[in-house]
Amino acid sequence: MIFITGPLYSGKRACACQLLGCSAEELSERAVWDVQELAKGCADLNALADRLAEWDAVIATEIGGGVVPADAGERAAREAAGRLSGLLAQRAERVIRVFCGLPVTLK
Amino acid sequence: MFTLVIGGAASGKSEYAESLITGSEHLPRYYIATMEPLDLECRARIEKHRKMRAEKQFLTIECYTGLSALRLPERGSVLLECLGNLVANEIYSPAGAGTEQGALNAAAEGVEALLAQCRDLVVVSSEVFSAGERYAPGTDVYLRTLAGVHRALAQRADRVCEVVCGLPQYYKGGTQ
Repeated sequence: MIFITGPLYSGKRACACQLLGCSAEELSERAVWDVQELAKGCADLNALADRLAEWDAVIATEIGGGVVPADAGERAAREAAGRLSGLLAQRAERVIRVFCGLPVTLK
Repeated sequence: MFTLVIGGAASGKSEYAESLITGSEHLPRYYIATMEPLDLECRARIEKHRKMRAEKQFLTIECYTGLSALRLPERGSVLLECLGNLVANEIYSPAGAGTEQGALNAAAEGVEALLAQCRDLVVVSSEVFSAGERYAPGTDVYLRTLAGVHRALAQRADRVCEVVCGLPQYYKGGTQ
């Protein structure tokens, strides 16, 4: 599995298409994205990461860069999203961060 | 040489970008300022940046929208600051392009026009994409547009770096 992360609108899906050699239309058969949303309220992040790791590529948007949210629910969701990314990076053969459309290999 | 310099608030991106231009042999040095002095905070910020440039022989040109119409008197080096303001002006200012696609085109074509008129170009922009999506409605249009401009210019640029704590991290084109 290739784990692709990066800031909002940085070109992560286009990068996935390039790495997998598929079109934007075909991507949904090979990859899953916005997985940071799945972390919200998830009881077992390890099990979620195991399931996601079966895809060819998993894409998460970095959302942990701002000020700690005042709302407890948003705070917990942001924590879970960050932890999920770490678990996915452990399971991935390759980890790529995309910045302004430019891929950087982290692992 | 075209360098795109991106960084967070107070990351030192302006100082780093200026050092790239003052290190360029190509004179004159133009500074294209994109922030409209709308309030006291803007004016104070403009004044701070003006002082920083005063001894570095920059000729300041103000341009808030319609960058592609700007004509430079000579072929020197150019520092454009800041792309984040320029894109916001194109979306929200009455004189701007008004739409997402229009703003994207205005910024990309504006930079292309500058490239044809100078030898060294440094474009400064803001990293605002790592704090999640929970913004006031309407902000998303701005984020999407600015990100589109960043990706287009990163493709076009010879070098792309992010400034962190005053230190440039290069994603393209290596260190200088």
